[in-house]
Amino acid sequence: MGKKRKHSETEAAAPVKNDDSAPERPKRTLLGWKDKKEDAEETKAASVFRNKEKVLVTCSRRISFRYRHLMLNIVSLLPHCKKDSKVEAKSSKGETLNELVELKGSSSCLFFECRKHKDLYMWMVKSPSGPSVKFLVNAVHTMEELKLTGNHLKGSRPLLTFSSNFDKDVHWKLLKEMLTQVFGIPKEHRKSKPYHDHVFAFSIVDDHIWFRNYQISVPHNEADKVARGGLDKMTLVEVGPRFCLNPIKIFGSSFGGPTLYENPFYVSPNQIRALEKRNKAGKFAKKIKAKTRRKMHELSNPLEPDEFVDMWKDDE
Amino acid sequence: MSFEDDFVEDDEMNMIDDEVASDSEAESLSDSDSDNEITEKLAEPTKTAVYNRDGLLDKLQDISWPEDVDWTHKLTVDIEQGQAVDVNDDLAREMAFYTQALEGTRQAFGKLQEMGLPFLRPSDYYAEMVKSDTHMEKVKSKLLYEKKQMEETEERRKARDNKKMAKEVQSQKMKERAKQKKDEIESVKKWRKQRQQSGFSEKGAGDLDLEFGNGKSFQRGGGKKRPGVSPGDRSGGKGKPTSRMNNKKREFRDSKFGHGGRKGLSKQNTAETTNDFKGGFRGGKAGGNKRQKK
Repeated sequence: MGKKRKHSETEAAAPVKNDDSAPERPKRTLLGWKDKKEDAEETKAASVFRNKEKVLVTCSRRISFRYRHLMLNIVSLLPHCKKDSKVEAKSSKGETLNELVELKGSSSCLFFECRKHKDLYMWMVKSPSGPSVKFLVNAVHTMEELKLTGNHLKGSRPLLTFSSNFDKDVHWKLLKEMLTQVFGIPKEHRKSKPYHDHVFAFSIVDDHIWFRNYQISVPHNEADKVARGGLDKMTLVEVGPRFCLNPIKIFGSSFGGPTLYENPFYVSPNQIRALEKRNKAGKFAKKIKAKTRRKMHELSNPLEPDEFVDMWKDDE
Repeated sequence: MSFEDDFVEDDEMNMIDDEVASDSEAESLSDSDSDNEITEKLAEPTKTAVYNRDGLLDKLQDISWPEDVDWTHKLTVDIEQGQAVDVNDDLAREMAFYTQALEGTRQAFGKLQEMGLPFLRPSDYYAEMVKSDTHMEKVKSKLLYEKKQMEETEERRKARDNKKMAKEVQSQKMKERAKQKKDEIESVKKWRKQRQQSGFSEKGAGDLDLEFGNGKSFQRGGGKKRPGVSPGDRSGGKGKPTSRMNNKKREFRDSKFGHGGRKGLSKQNTAETTNDFKGGFRGGKAGGNKRQKK
């Protein structure tokens, strides 16, 4: 198994870990590490930062049409992603995917796994040693729905809005960081378009992350200023897609590793279906029980004989 | 721990259900003898859920970008959430998301404006959009269709109201006319009486102080008019409304499936074709078949 790691990838991975310890962190640039110039550029360190995020988007086999369209929508939203062919659903999924990610030289991965043709799980993974999250995806509405009427430039950088409860707890903060890096298009990416005409909204409601994508329409004349009061006339039109993520587990490394977080409120859809079936099955048993109860009750409290029973007996 | 384990562990743990997709009823799997009560328990019994805060913080440090990165790289805005939104109330939930996005854009635009960066698309900038033009056409036609439906229902309602009004007005008019007729007859009778009483003196016909109305009675039909009925309408305005309605359906179906009619009429002789000796469509497939036979 020849692992074709690009040289820059390894160097990109290495200093990330030394982030907190090394004060003079060699910044990632397109050409490698400018260690020699580091002293001179230390003051301008931030300007040399380049977001080299690349996302690999794949799915498993036997994925249904709605989820496939969702995946394609996400591919069109993220110009810094690369779509790959379907992955065989074998037990060694983790290793295969890790290899695939390294092969393609991506720094993160979105893997859509559809089980039983009904449930969609989404893995969001930072490579090579990053944390990985497994989500259950609900409430999917794709961009093709005619009710979602907005439209925006393909590849324009979105504004990302997060609700404030992302800062309430550590795991939400981690998720926020991962979402920013995956869904935020790198600044001077060659496929990105210049203006900002859409906005993503991530909010946490009921311990689920809800995603919405809106087109911004503002009456304006110039490209870098809004007319006074124009901001009040701003309207948002929904573009789509829409989905709701339910985090299941967060692992320490990509597609596996030690579990860092488990969602205590998560019930797998299999369990839910089993419960419902059991409830339905219980109906008959309950009926029988109720019958026997009634019988026992009748036996123990016999009715007094009715005084009107013989009233018409002699009237033939 | 592979990611297959979560299914195994879910069975072991007593977890409640807060899934959006399902009903919120759950039963702890260890209580097999209880009547299926519908309870929502907290996550307390699942204290076995792993929550490695330090590990999470470590990973966060690992992956996060350096602190002093320009905001333009991240483009994130955090919005305060006002109050807890009920998940099941669709409208409130969507409103909350909408306001969050709106607030976020306002703040972001403010920042971008300060930085002097262009952020609004000029009207002459044409580039590939994320939804194709054909798709947007479909969206537009659907919106137009919905608008038309609404307008039509409005119109129908108005027409119904107008009809009611018109009926009332008409009944009023009929009453008036009947009254007028009665009055006229009464006045003629009075005049006759007067003449009788005054002994049939020949004072002259000009002594009639009657009014013969407005001359309307000399018109054909006695001045009756029915609005909304054209003179050529032989059904008298009472034609079936359904025949008018089905025309639309018929027209649409015709345009889609072609014009019907009896079978086999298309090749019969008509007035034009009998006199048409040399013209018409010749050759083509018919000629080709003959060639193939040989």
